[in-house]
This record gives sequence, structure tokens and C-alpha cells, in this order.
Amino acid sequence: MSVLKRLTEPKSLDSMSPLGAVLVYGGLILWSMVVLFPLYWIAITSLKLPIHVSAGPVYLPFVDFLPDLHAWRYIFVDLGNDTLRPYLNSIVVALVSTALAMLIGSMAAYSLSRLEFAPRLASILLFLLLGAVMIVAVAGFGVPWWIAAVVALALFLLLARAAGRTMRASLGNGDILFWIISQRILPPVVAALPIYVMFQTVGLLDTRTALIATYTTVNLPIVVWLMYDFFVTIPKDLEESASLDGASRFAIFFGIVLPLARPGLVATGLLVLILAWNEYLLALFLSSANAQTMPVLVAAQNATRGPQWWYMSVLILLMILPVIFLTLLLQRFIAKGMLLGAVKG
Amino acid sequence: MTIRSWLAGLAMAGVAAGAMPALAAEFDGVTVNILTQTGPAISGPMQARAPEFEKQSGAKINVITVPFSDIYQKLLTDWSTGTNSIDAAVFAPQWMVDYAGSGFLEDLTPRMEGDEALEQDDIAPFFREFSQKYAGKTYMMTFDGDFHMIFYRTDILEELGKQPPKTWEDYLDIAAAAHGKDMNGDGQPDFGSCIGKKRNAQGYWFLTSVAGGYIQAKGTSEGAFFNTEDMTPLIDNAGFRKALEVYKKTSEYGPPDELNLDVADTRVMFVAGRCALSMDWGDIGSMSVDPSMSKVTGKVGATILPGSSEVIDRTTGEFVACDADTCPHAINGLNHAPFAAFGGWGGGINANADPKVKDAAYAFFSYLSQPAQSNQDVTKGETGFNPYRMSQLEDVATWEKMGMGKENAESYLGAIKTSLNSPNMILDLRIPQNQRYQQVVLDTAVARYLAGELDVDATVETVVEGWNEVNEELGTDEQLEAYKATIGAE
Amino acid sequence: MAVTSAAHVTAAPPERESLNDWLDRQAGRLFILPAVILILGFSIFPLIASAYLALSRFKLAPGGYTLTFIGWFNFKKMLTGSQQFHLLGTFGAITLLGWVIMLATVALVVWGVVRYARSGRVTVVGSIGRLITIATALALSVLFAVNLGEGGQLGTIATTMFYVAGGVAVQFALGLGLALLCAKPIRGRSFFRVLFFVPLMVTPVGIAYTFRMLADTAVGPFAPLWHWLGYAQTSWSADAWTARFVVLIGDSWQWIPFIFIVLLAAIESQPRDEVEAAQLDGASGWQIFRDITWPSIAPVAATVVLIRAIEAFKIIDLPNVLTNGGPGIATESLTLHAFIEWRALNLGGSAAVAYILLFLSTIACVSFFNFVVKPMREARA
Repeated sequence: MSVLKRLTEPKSLDSMSPLGAVLVYGGLILWSMVVLFPLYWIAITSLKLPIHVSAGPVYLPFVDFLPDLHAWRYIFVDLGNDTLRPYLNSIVVALVSTALAMLIGSMAAYSLSRLEFAPRLASILLFLLLGAVMIVAVAGFGVPWWIAAVVALALFLLLARAAGRTMRASLGNGDILFWIISQRILPPVVAALPIYVMFQTVGLLDTRTALIATYTTVNLPIVVWLMYDFFVTIPKDLEESASLDGASRFAIFFGIVLPLARPGLVATGLLVLILAWNEYLLALFLSSANAQTMPVLVAAQNATRGPQWWYMSVLILLMILPVIFLTLLLQRFIAKGMLLGAVKG
Repeated sequence: MTIRSWLAGLAMAGVAAGAMPALAAEFDGVTVNILTQTGPAISGPMQARAPEFEKQSGAKINVITVPFSDIYQKLLTDWSTGTNSIDAAVFAPQWMVDYAGSGFLEDLTPRMEGDEALEQDDIAPFFREFSQKYAGKTYMMTFDGDFHMIFYRTDILEELGKQPPKTWEDYLDIAAAAHGKDMNGDGQPDFGSCIGKKRNAQGYWFLTSVAGGYIQAKGTSEGAFFNTEDMTPLIDNAGFRKALEVYKKTSEYGPPDELNLDVADTRVMFVAGRCALSMDWGDIGSMSVDPSMSKVTGKVGATILPGSSEVIDRTTGEFVACDADTCPHAINGLNHAPFAAFGGWGGGINANADPKVKDAAYAFFSYLSQPAQSNQDVTKGETGFNPYRMSQLEDVATWEKMGMGKENAESYLGAIKTSLNSPNMILDLRIPQNQRYQQVVLDTAVARYLAGELDVDATVETVVEGWNEVNEELGTDEQLEAYKATIGAE
Repeated sequence: MAVTSAAHVTAAPPERESLNDWLDRQAGRLFILPAVILILGFSIFPLIASAYLALSRFKLAPGGYTLTFIGWFNFKKMLTGSQQFHLLGTFGAITLLGWVIMLATVALVVWGVVRYARSGRVTVVGSIGRLITIATALALSVLFAVNLGEGGQLGTIATTMFYVAGGVAVQFALGLGLALLCAKPIRGRSFFRVLFFVPLMVTPVGIAYTFRMLADTAVGPFAPLWHWLGYAQTSWSADAWTARFVVLIGDSWQWIPFIFIVLLAAIESQPRDEVEAAQLDGASGWQIFRDITWPSIAPVAATVVLIRAIEAFKIIDLPNVLTNGGPGIATESLTLHAFIEWRALNLGGSAAVAYILLFLSTIACVSFFNFVVKPMREARA
């Protein structure tokens, strides 16, 4: 066997040729460095004094510079509760909103994957029309919003049937699914101010409730979309036999379907959790003192004296650690779960 | 059409203060939510002073911090929608007109008049008479004296045999001579001039500081932004054009990434010894004596913004030479117009807060500003508060003790004093929605000019068009009235 | 909403039913109801309110504020007025590159139209949808051509499209490459999988600041390298395109993991037996990828690209922190544009920008969904 051949051909189907292995591991290690270096830099920056940052790069603690815990002390001791409060807020908001989004989203996704919906186009147009009229009435003519809402709802219920008789076109599940997904397209800047006014009207500004409700909604589309693909690939036989045995839909859903979709739930849940945990723009709008979350605190370290890199680094590390821990815990699910269902079955 | 009515109808008062009977201290059980910028510079001294105050008064001071760029909007949203979760704020006086004009700010005049501990007479006249006031009433309490100065490295100038810059030609000359020298001993070439020119930061203020000496000569009430006759922007003239050229020229002696540096970066660079000259607020002075970040302790001098021997004629827009008529406030034949950019952090109180809360907020602000506290705070490197009381300017000894050196301390405080005493100080633009003029139109145009997207003529044209457009949108006559009111023009 | 369920479609309502039965019968609706209500509440009102805002002028007034209805003023100002340079960019004389872009777009459109006409499934709705897509694509290609022309500059629309198209392309290529590497029979696969996933967990604001540190040419970690290469007197932040690429690098660092992890899962579930059979037949790695792997992961790939594109349209943190949109307006995205106007209290202008973004991203995403994702899914089914 020539050397070239031995280098380029694998010994068996499940292994790689020596040359291939070098290339593959080389690529993996290279990318590991790309991933790790910024994290390393954050970690050592959290141990630097301002002068270490401003006077040029130093790379190795104890060799290039003497690490100092001043930033950690500032975040944990000086700020103390001012760090703890946003941290708790972030944890509560991210966990609760993820749980809610997962529950509501997978119910909707399951429903869309098993039933045929056919909302009348006419009802939808009517709904939009009444909504617009309501806004104009409230904004333009000073009608109290709850009166407008009640009137609009009553009109809708009255007219929906009539409208449905005159216009028979209807939409399908695909349209509903896409409508839900399209909510994710909505840029937060479009919605932020009206949402602020909404929460202000009901007196919920700067509460965790407001953030939880908002995050649940903005992440719903992702849950519905990803979970829909999972449910579609789960065979219906089990459910049908359970149904024949007299199990209710609720029992089937919670008892049979959800456990089967566990990898998908975990993977989608983790993704949604990360999105909620890291969200910045809406948190900035909706929170000030009490409900402030970690990303706002991170961004806030940019002050007139320049970004306080050392404090910022500590906060970023504090934000990454729990998520890494969670990922390690759940990692075997993620592999299976990130499939989006589409290739299963 | 207004949607105010339905908002107002449903607004829930967010004031959390319980009206508890005063037992031990005056403000037992009163919580004051004060919004300000994050970071040790501004919120630091407030948080540091809060515990003592809380112990004395019984009030609970709750300092809420948000990033600088969001303060204006946050306050406005909170107050204009009637949310009122914020009782008081420490913010930029430039925004006062938007808040005070809409009735969100408490008139502090009566409280301050009866407040002896505050020692009002000690506060520099510019802040007392102009900066804190709107339409004759005081709506803010100043904690921080803010205007632009030139900082220079005394050791480098000595080495080069140069005097501190008196004109922008001097400035460019020094910058050119110093550029490329190693000024902090690290073997790397350093820079002649560092000015924060980043977009959406402070670049437009620095440009105004360059232009000021060419444009405004007859005192604060002449104005440097609009013609007080008809609200024509003071942009399409020889002075502003020259300022654009000088401003761009300084980049040749600056760091290569100067377009992406904001003032926070340049001041850190300056005290790290990497720049010979810089334009900044007073902060470099206190930062240069902070051993945790400074390599230039005792090597920093300061001077008033450079002047000009010619100023523009308001009718023709062309330069005319300085004489007793054209430049009544000239120093040695040079017209200086120090620019109170931003204007210094100050405290204002929400007019719609609970009366007890308002009192507590005022008491806290007064406590912060009283000489006993503030004279310490303005000398601390880690705070962003700069001197604003006359007694602070006399106190050379404290600065000397901190390592500034007697000569430098005198130069630093002297530069502040000359600027503050100048009758030709430029008051920052304070008409309603001034952010749209400066932060959007001017800042974008300047950024594009510096990036080479626009030439001088196109920049002038863009700014004039943009400002006129905002004027028209908001009502030229109303804006003119507001402008005249803020600068005290006839 | 009319609901027909496979299981219950024939069941006539019984005379009297228990609550449980009723609940069970309505389960389908009840399952979807909370989601619909939430989304309606959080999207319909904000959408309509923002639309109204986009047509108004916001002004402070004593005690609060006023909103004056001003029609299309805000849009006109940006599309044809003084702010045109900001949104649409500066128009220059079209160069060769511009002609190539436009011709390529036209060729693509013609190809699509011919294919559609031949498919024999031409419908009215389908044709209207395609017309909208074609018009948008042509308009964007002309915009790019004049922006890239001599003396032209990119506006926020073109910059955003660059972030979306460039970002998604780079991230997809690298994400797929990494997934293929990890799918090899290697040791420590789960280690690499978790490690490569990490950047997705960092808050975007944090990433933006981290990259600002890393990209600093004076005191950042790569500064000595940069100086050694002889670039001490230049900076990426002073040039429009390098600044845009630095933004893109930061964005890619964060989002490659997402594409990587999804594609890896897809690759791992490709038909093993087919791969082994091909290997026994002596097929090359490229052939296996082309004939087996790619067809089996294509639908997932299309979906993941769509999800990524939807998020990419909303990019704001990176340009905002790295460059504040500079130099000039070179790195400013549409969301940042809207954010800056909003911060200066030009609420009407801000809402108008946001609406233009919504319009663009909706057309782009719907088109991609209909003309790429759906056909790929159907091809597999």
C-alpha cells in the first residue's frame, strides 16, 4: 500500500483516513478557538484593572498583569442587591415566560396538526375592520377603550354569521400557521411603544408580569412553528386507540403526545429560554426600577466614562453560566430535538 | 386629535409613597425613585450619599439607572403618559425645555430661595442664571459644571517649545508637531489630537465648539445656532464652513479609528498618555489624578476653547476682522466663545409626584449640592461631577494635594473660571425637540461629512435643509420664541 | 371559527351532554384559543396604533402630548424628501456591477415565471403573490445598482438587506461546514456540540460589547497583529465596507451555532443504510453529500434559513454598539434607523421606518416561505 493511499483512505466505514482525521480535527479545534477566544477575553477582562484595558492588550493573568477582583467586588458587594434584583427578575421572567409559551404554543401547534380549521375570510375582514374603527373611535373621538371594545365585540358576534353567509371563502391551517409565524417578523420597534401604552393603561408597567406576558407572546410563534413539525411526525395510531378507549383529548395530549415529543419540547424550550433570557429592547421599554433584567444592566455599564468593560464582563459571565449549565444538563435532548421534526418519520 | 384624554382618564398614579405620620425623622416611609444614568460617574456619588441622607431624614432613596441614550425618552414616556413611576431625575439641562414646557417639572424657585444651606450665591452665575432656568424659573439644581475646554500635555508642549493653543490654527500646529511621538513611553507612536467623533455620540457638540468662536461674538444672547430675527440656521456662512474644515483637519493628527471613538474612549486614551491634545468636558482634569487609570498625573494643563481673530458678519455670512464693535468680548484680540455643551447634570423633580415625595426629593438634591458634600464629590476622579461652585474654583490646594501639581491645578481651575466668566458663553440648543436638530440632522450630516460621504457644501446644505424642515414641522414662530427665551434675546 | 375534526365531523351534538363531553368536543378550539388571543392582543393593537403613529406628528404639549394627523408626510420625506439618502441611500451612476446585479435578478425572475407558467397550477392569488415578489425583487436590485454605482451610497434598506443576505449566507455555509465536520466519526462529539452552541447563549448586547473590545485596533487583543501587518494608521471603523463586515462577523459568531446545531441533528438522522451502501459502492464524499445528505436535509435547511432571516431583519444591537451606525450611516440598519428617530422623539418618522421594515421583511419572508421552503417540503413528502 502506498503512503498516499494509507493517508487518504479510511480503515473501515466508521473511521476516517489519517489525513481526513487531521483535517477534521484541525477544523474542529480551529473553530473551538474561534468560539472560546471571545469568552476567554471576557473572563480575563473581568479580572483587569481599567489601566490594563486602556493601555494596550495584556493577555495572560499573572504573567502580563496581576488579576484583580475589583470588578467582582463591585458587582457583588457594592451593587449587591442591584445585581441580585435584575438577576432574579431575569430568572423568573425567562422561566415563567418559557413555560407559558411552551404550554400555550404546543397546545396550539398540536391542535393545528390534528384538526382542520377553516376560519371564514369574511369574519377576519370584519374583525380587522371593527378593530380599526375601534382604534379611531378611541384615539380620535375620545371614546373610553373598554366601551369601544365591548361594542366592537358585540357587533362582531352579531355580524359574523351574516358576513359568513355572504362570503364563503375560508382559510386553511397553513394560513393560520403562517399568520402565527409572521408575528415573529414584526420588528420590536414597531410594537414597543403601543405595548408600553397598553401596559401603562392597565397599570402593569415595570412589573415582571408585563415582561412575562410580552415574552410569552413574542416567543409563541417559534414554539408553534417548531412544535407543529414535531407533532406532525408523531404517528396518530396511539392517539386513535386511546381515543377509542375513551380518553379525552386533554388526557391524550398531556398523557401521550407531550411525552413523545419530549426531545422537541426540550430543544424548543431551551431556544425560547435563551431568547427570553437575552432580550434587551423590550425590557428596556417595559422596565425601569423593579423589573429591570440583566441585559439592560449589561448595556447600562456603558456610561460617560466609557464602557466599564470589567463590570460588563462580570455580568456577561454571570449571564452565560446558568445557561451553559442547563445546556450540559439537557444536551442529549438537544441533539434529537433540534430536528424541527421535518426529517423524522 | 389627541389620545391624551383617554390616557389621562385611565392613568394610574404610580406613586408608591405611603403617607405615614412623621415619628422620628422628617421623611419616614417616603420612597423617592430617582432616575439617572448608569455607572459610577453620576449615579455613584448619589448612591454613595444616599445612606447618610436616609439616616438623617428617614426617606428611602431609590436610584434607578438606565443607559445614557435612553434617559430622555424614558423620562418623557413615563411623565407624558401619566405613568409617573419616576419621582425625580438627574438629567441634562438641554432636555429641560421639553419637560418644563409641558409642565412635568416642579418649579424649584421658591424652595431654593428659602434654602440657606444650599448657598446659592456660591454657584457660578452661568449655571444659576442660565443653565438651571427656563423662562425665568428654576427647574433644575446643578450638580455638575459642564462645558468644553482644551486639555494639553504640559510636558509635550514644553518639549516642542509651544504655548497652549489660542486659536484653532495653533491647535492644528501643535497637533501636527506632536503627532507620531511616543508620549507614554511604550514605544508606540501616539497622537496629536484626540476628539470623540463617533456618530450618535458627542461629535456634533465638538463641531459646535470649533464653530462657536467664529459665529458668536456679541454675548450669550446673540445665539450660535439660529438667527434670532427669523430662525435662519447659522450654518450657511464662512464660519461654519471653516469649522467643518478645521474639524476634519484634526482627524489627520488623530487615531485611525477616531470616527469610532466617543468622548469616553478619548478621555481614557488621554489619561493613558496617548494624546497630546484633546477637547473635552472637565472630566479629564479629575481623571488625570486618578491613579487607577492615569499615566499623566501632573502633566495635564487646560485652557479655554481656542478663539478667532475674525468672526462672521450676520448679514453677509462672510468673515470680518475683530475690533471693538465686532468682538466686544475679545481677549487679546481673539474672540472666544466657550460652549456649555450638554450643560452639566442637574436634578429635576416630577411636578405630579406626591407632595411629600417632592419634598424628600428636594431635600436629597439640596443635600447633594451643598458645599459640604459637593466640594468633595467634584474632586473625586471616579465621579463625573465637575466644579460648578465658585468656592470649588478657589480650592487649588485640594487639587494640588491629589497630585495635579500647583501650576496645573491653577491652569485647570483657571480655564474653568475664564470659561464660566465669559459673557460670550454659548448656551446649548434648548428649543423643543432639540435632539432632532442636533442628534439627528446635525450629527448625521457631520458623520457623513467626516466619512467622506458629503463635501463641505453638501453638508451645509443638508443641515440647513434639515433644520428648516424641523422648524416647519414644529412651527417656526414657536421655535423662534422658545429659542429667544432660552438665550435671553430681545 | 368553523372547526371540523377528523374524529368528530359526523357526530351530531347529542341531546344533553356533560361538561366534560362539551370540553372534549371543543378541545381543538380551546387548545388554539389562548395562542390566538395572546397574539391578537399583542399584535393587532400595536400594529394599528403604529400605523396611526406613522401617519402623525408627535409634539409635546402642556401636560402631555398631541398627535396631529399628517397623512403620508413621514413616508414622503423618506422616500422622496430630505431623508431619502438615509433610507434609500444616495443614487449614483450605474456601473458594470449594477448592470450585472439587475440582469441577474431579471434572469432569475424570468426563470421563475417560466417555471410557474409551465407547472400548470397558475391561480389568481398565486399570480398576484408572484407579482408582488417580482416587483419587490426588481426594485431592490435597482436600488442596489444605483447605491453601488459611482458616487452612490447605501441607505438603511440596502444595508439591512446586506446584513440579511450576507449574514445568512456566511452563517449557513459555516454552520453547514461545522455540522458536516461534527457528523464525522469523531471522539468528543458531544463536547464539540455543546461548545459550538455556547455563542448563542450570550446576550446580543454582550456580544456587541465583546466584539467592540476585540475589534479595537489600539488596545484590543489583535492590535499587535494589526500593527505588525502595517495597518497601524488605518482602522476598519473608518471605511464603510470593513465596518459592515465587522458587524457581520459579530452577528455570525452568535448565529452560526443555531444553524450548526439544527443541521447537525438533520445530518445525523439521514438514512444511514443509504450512506453505507454508497460508501461500499465507492462513492466519493462529495457524491454522498450531493445525492443523499443534501436532499435529506434540504427542507430543514430551508426552514432554518427562514428563521434566521426573520431574526436578521431585526438586527440592531451590533451596529448600535460597535459603530453607532457609523462611519456616516454606513452600518445603520433599519431597526437602528427607527430606534434613532424614536430616541429623538420623532415618533411618527420612527414608526414609518418600522413599517417599511415590516413591509420589506414580510414580503421577503413570505416569498421565501412560498417559493423555497414549501416546494422543498413538498418535494420530500
